[in-house]
Amino acid sequence: MARVKITNVKKIYSGNVVAVHDFNLDIADKEFIVFVGPSGCGKSTTLRMVAGLEDISEGTVEIDGEVVNDLQPKDRHISMVFQNYALYPHLTVYENMAFPLRLDKNIRHYELSEEERAADEKKLAELQKDPVKNAKKIAQVEEELEKGKAVKGYTNDQIYEKVTSAAKVLGITQYLTRKPKALSGGQRQRVAIGRAMVKDCKVFLMDEPLSNLDAKLRNQMRAEIILLRKRINTTFIYVTHDQTEAMTLGDRIVCMKDGYIMQVGTPTELFDMPANLFVAQFIGAPMMNTIKTNLYSKGGKYFVKVFGHELEVTGEKGEMLKKRNTPDREINLGVRPEHITFARDKGSNSFPVTIEVNEMMGSEYHLHVVTEDGTKLVVRIPTINLSESEREGMVMGNKINVTFEGKAMHFFDLETERNILVDQENAPEIK
Amino acid sequence: MEKKPKMVSMSKRRRTVNIISYITLALISIVWILPFIFLLLKSFDVGNPGVTGYVFPEQWGFDNYIYLFSAETNFLQWYFNTFIIALFVCVIQTAMQFMMSYVLSRFRFKLRKPLMNIMLVLGMFPGFLTMIVLYQILKTFGLTGDNAVPGLILVYCASSGMGYYVSKGFLDTLPKSLDEAALVDGATRAQIFIKVILPLCKPILIYTVLTSFMGPWGDFVFAYTVSLGSQAGMNVAAGLNSWLSAANIGAHFAHFCAGGVIVAIPVMVLFLFLQKYYVEGVTGGAVKG
Repeated sequence: MARVKITNVKKIYSGNVVAVHDFNLDIADKEFIVFVGPSGCGKSTTLRMVAGLEDISEGTVEIDGEVVNDLQPKDRHISMVFQNYALYPHLTVYENMAFPLRLDKNIRHYELSEEERAADEKKLAELQKDPVKNAKKIAQVEEELEKGKAVKGYTNDQIYEKVTSAAKVLGITQYLTRKPKALSGGQRQRVAIGRAMVKDCKVFLMDEPLSNLDAKLRNQMRAEIILLRKRINTTFIYVTHDQTEAMTLGDRIVCMKDGYIMQVGTPTELFDMPANLFVAQFIGAPMMNTIKTNLYSKGGKYFVKVFGHELEVTGEKGEMLKKRNTPDREINLGVRPEHITFARDKGSNSFPVTIEVNEMMGSEYHLHVVTEDGTKLVVRIPTINLSESEREGMVMGNKINVTFEGKAMHFFDLETERNILVDQENAPEIK
Repeated sequence: MEKKPKMVSMSKRRRTVNIISYITLALISIVWILPFIFLLLKSFDVGNPGVTGYVFPEQWGFDNYIYLFSAETNFLQWYFNTFIIALFVCVIQTAMQFMMSYVLSRFRFKLRKPLMNIMLVLGMFPGFLTMIVLYQILKTFGLTGDNAVPGLILVYCASSGMGYYVSKGFLDTLPKSLDEAALVDGATRAQIFIKVILPLCKPILIYTVLTSFMGPWGDFVFAYTVSLGSQAGMNVAAGLNSWLSAANIGAHFAHFCAGGVIVAIPVMVLFLFLQKYYVEGVTGGAVKG
C-alpha cells in the first residue's frame, strides 16, 4: 500500500537509444494504473524500472516516499507477474508459491501470549538482580516485551497457511502438488499471480499477464483480476497493449507512444476527450475515422463541412468551442465508428456511401465504406435494429446512407495532431 | 511413340541406398572397434606377455589383472593419482565452468564481448604449446615429479573457465524472466544460481561433469611431462606408457592391455549411470509452451 511517484524518469540504452523520455507520474495509494501503448512504446521498460530490473538512466522513482533508484528489486517491496509466467519448472506449484516466503529473512514481531509475557517478566525480574552483568540480556527481554516476539522469516506453518489461502482464492488448491509443466496456460498464470500475492508487497506489478492466454480465457482472467484487486487492495501497475484491458481494469490509464506519455486520465477521459489523434485512434475499436475539413462559426454556432453537408457541432463540444471562441480553421475531424449511424431515409444530414468490406460480428456489422469523394470510413452498425431486407442490403458494392451527430465529433490540429479542445502546454511533439 | 521415362520404384531405391550405407557403416565400425577387441582379448592372454601375432589368446586367464594389483607394480598408485586428479578437476572445473557460463549468459558488462573473443582466440592454440612454460612454472613451485598430482590439478583447472561454450548455450535457452522473477521474489544472485538455475541445468551439468572427469582421466601428454617419470607423481596413462618402452614391452604388453581395460571401467560405469539424464529435458512449463 503505497504511493508511487515517478519523476523525470528517462531510460537511455547504449548507443543513445532513448526508450523512455521524461516520464512523470504520481500514482496514488491503492490506485490501479494501466500503461498502454503499442509495442516498443516504453511501457514495459518503465514498469521494469519501477521493479528494479532495469537501471534508471535519469530521474527518480519513489515508493512510499522512499527513493528506490538504487535499491535491489527485493528491497522495493514489490510483487510482479510476468507475461510468460516465469514459474520455476523444477518446483511444485506449492513450492513455487512458497519461494518468496522462504527467501524472506526479515524480522517480524508477533504479540506475546499471556504465558510468554509472564515468563518474560519473571525472567526480567531475575536478571535485574544484577543489572550491570545482565545489561545485554535485560535489553533483549525488554525489547521483546515491548515489540513482541521477534521471528526471522516465516515458519513452515505460516508459509502453509499463506500459500493455501492464496491457492483457495485463485482456485488452484487441487494443483498444489503438480509441477507447472502439468498445468494449462490459465492455471499457470494463476500460480504466477498466487506467487506474487503471498508476499507482503506495497506495489503489485503486472507485465502483460494475459497476453499469452487465448481470447476466452483472457476475458475470464480479466474479470478475476478485477476481483483480485478488490481483495488485495494495494497499488497496481499493469502493463498491456490491449486497449480493452486498459479500459476495463484501470482507474487511470497512461497511454504511451515512442517513450512519451501521450495522455494520462480515466478511461472515460481518454475515450471522450483524447488529447491527440494517437490516443483517439488507439483507444476504441475499430479505430476512429478522420476527415480533413473546415471548422467555422456562423451566428454563434459552430459547423463542419462534411461531404457537402453542413453539420452543426452540438452538445458539450459545441459549448467548449464557443467558450474558447475558436477561430475558423482547418481541422482533422474525428468520428468514432460507433457514432456513425445508419440512416434509413436520405435526410438532410445523411450522406451516401458504398460498402467495400462487410465484417459481420454477430451483434453488429463493421462496414468499411467509401464516400462519394473517396474518403474511407469504418462504420459500426448494430444488427438488432435492422430489418431483414436492410440486413440483406449490407453487402459489398451496395450503397447506404449514414450520418453522425454533432456531439460525437473530435477536433484535431492538422499539424500537431493535438485535440484543439484540450490544453496541453508541455505536451510532447508527436511524430 | 513417346518413350516412357525409366521409373525406379521408391522402395527399391531406398533399399539400395540403405544397403550401401549399412555396409559402409559396418566397415567403419569394424575398423573402430578392432583395437578395443584386441586390447580386451590380449588382456586375458597369459601365455605370452609380449606383442603377439595372433588375436585370440592360446591360454586364457586373469593373471594379467592379478599382476596389476600385486605389489610388483605401482599400478594402484598411478590409478589412485589419476582418480584424485580427475575427481578434483571434475568438481572444480564444473563449478568454474558453470559460474562462468552464468555470468556470460546473464550479465552484461563492458568487457564481456572482448573477453569472449579473447577466450575464443586462445582456445584455438593447441594446449601443448604452453607445455614447456607450464612445466617451468610448476617446477619453480616444486610441483613436478613426485608432487605432480597437485601440479596437474592446477594445470587442468586453470583454463576450465574457457570451456563455457556448451553450458552457456544451454543457459541462454533458459528464460531470463526466471532470474527476474527470483530477483523480485527476494533471491540474491547466488541463490538464483543455486536454487533456480542449477536444478534446471541437470542434463548439461551431467555433460560437464562427464567431460571434465574424462579430460584428466585420459590425459597423457601433460601428465607425462609434469610427472617426469616419478612413480609417485605419474597418472595411469603415463605409467602404462612406461610399459611400452622397448625394454619393457616384451614382458609387459599384456599387463598394459589389462591396465587399459581397468582404466575404461569407471568411465563406462559413469556413462551408463548418468546417461538417462542426457535425454531428459527439464525446462518444460517454465514459460508458455
